[in-house]
Amino acid sequence: MKKLSTLILLLAAMLPAMAQVQYGTNQYAVRMNIGYLHNITYGSHAGFDFGAFMPINEHFEMQADLRFTTANAHAFGVQLRPKFAVPVGEMFIDARLLAGLYEKDGFNDLVQAIGVGYRMDYVSVQLGMSTRLVIPYPYDWHDGSNIIVEPFNLCYRVEAFVRPQTSPWNISFCISNMTDYQIERLWQLIFMANGRYNIDEHWQVNLSALCKPTGMFHLNAKYYAAEVRAGFAYNF
Amino acid sequence: MKKTIILSAIVALLCGCNPETTNLDIVGMFSGSSAGIDERIDDSFRYNDEHGMPVINATAEEYKVYVCTDTHVDFTRKNWERFIHDYRADLACPLALHLGDLINAQRHWDYMKRPLDSIPANPLKSDTLLAVAGNHDLYFKQWPEYLRLWKTSTYYAIVRTPAGKQDLYIFLDTGEGILGQRQTEWLKQTLGWADNQGFRHIVVCTHTHLFKRDTSQGHTSNMPLEETYALIHLLKQHKVEMFWCGHDHSREITNLGTMTSIIIDALEDPEKHPAYLIATMDDDPIAYRFVDIK
Repeated sequence: MKKLSTLILLLAAMLPAMAQVQYGTNQYAVRMNIGYLHNITYGSHAGFDFGAFMPINEHFEMQADLRFTTANAHAFGVQLRPKFAVPVGEMFIDARLLAGLYEKDGFNDLVQAIGVGYRMDYVSVQLGMSTRLVIPYPYDWHDGSNIIVEPFNLCYRVEAFVRPQTSPWNISFCISNMTDYQIERLWQLIFMANGRYNIDEHWQVNLSALCKPTGMFHLNAKYYAAEVRAGFAYNF
Repeated sequence: MKKTIILSAIVALLCGCNPETTNLDIVGMFSGSSAGIDERIDDSFRYNDEHGMPVINATAEEYKVYVCTDTHVDFTRKNWERFIHDYRADLACPLALHLGDLINAQRHWDYMKRPLDSIPANPLKSDTLLAVAGNHDLYFKQWPEYLRLWKTSTYYAIVRTPAGKQDLYIFLDTGEGILGQRQTEWLKQTLGWADNQGFRHIVVCTHTHLFKRDTSQGHTSNMPLEETYALIHLLKQHKVEMFWCGHDHSREITNLGTMTSIIIDALEDPEKHPAYLIATMDDDPIAYRFVDIK
């Protein structure tokens, strides 16, 4: 009982300090990554990602992402994140619009997602929903019956960090059904690992890996896709 | 108290991994213990090479195909028996299809197959029942059992009418939510060959569905998005008329331009609205209706 009281007191004393922690960066930043991508459908291919992070003010941030791949499946997305500091950590709302351009297969998909999240130094969790419009390409503007709508899909993301957010380097492990470039169906889990190292005030290097198995909820999981990306970010 | 919780967790975990005590292969969720798609394709192709693809002779220009899915047979098989009885009683039906999840879990294969021997077939017509594997037919290393009774899961069948018109049915194994590279290659080759054969109708049959347009997203997983789009693109390129599947247990008809995708209701016994599909194959576009089993 004494131990528990001490722990509670200690946590209470830490609260004001923790509330001041800055999650992520508060600087405008641009980043570029190059990646080796593989999946069973397209085989090996390369990806080029570009992104911009815009912390408009202390309660609102934006992110824009663009990806080109040599498999001719591209994506771009915009994320808007209103955020609110709470005594420990930060709550945020994540609203995103993501377009997948599967040119080689004659489909575009447009996903709108909204979710709520909570992040603190070592953990970030997010839960929301999305709607997907699948639009055959080329689209016949006189016939809307070809658009396929998947009206409801659950989105989730759980990420654990090994270092506090203010650390000059960090590694995280994440389970989700969404990346910056794709929102998969509820049952399609994606496993990710991300690392960053701040070289100096402006330059940062990034390394990330992703694994997407298939058939987890068919109870016969097998490999489907993997990617490794490396690149840098410049903080203004 | 702590010991009890730890002990209960260990027992629950062990039960979840043991095929004797559970119907769900929890370990398979993270690392599939059953044969993978490439191994299954090898087995299917070996059988196809030795025995050839089924060719069924219809007795009229217009015939019917009975299609069911997700019977999940375990301790009862009332709806499954009803389906067998119905397609065998219909003189216009030379071909019946089962789109996977024949059984609910391991140990029920022979019980599932028995009505096919006990319900009398009509000697006046072809009595062919073809199947593909669903996920419930595979996990807990059940592929050898499936193979013993159903022989192949990636193949095609041709139905010939008296006037020499032909309809093509292509069966794809998506029992683990993926087509895989080799099966996709085989599908491309088969569809390329079919382009020059003058088939009246081409239908693709598999277990896993493409989309889910109701608000539930179902309780079932799909193929990955990239593979879904690539598959539809390929099927539409080769003028496939219909895509029949199951897996989701609830009926859904999706217009994909030149192709229609139909998720057929589950036929399992405890299902609230069990149903099967009857397609009418003639010179017109394929017509279909559902038969609800009360």
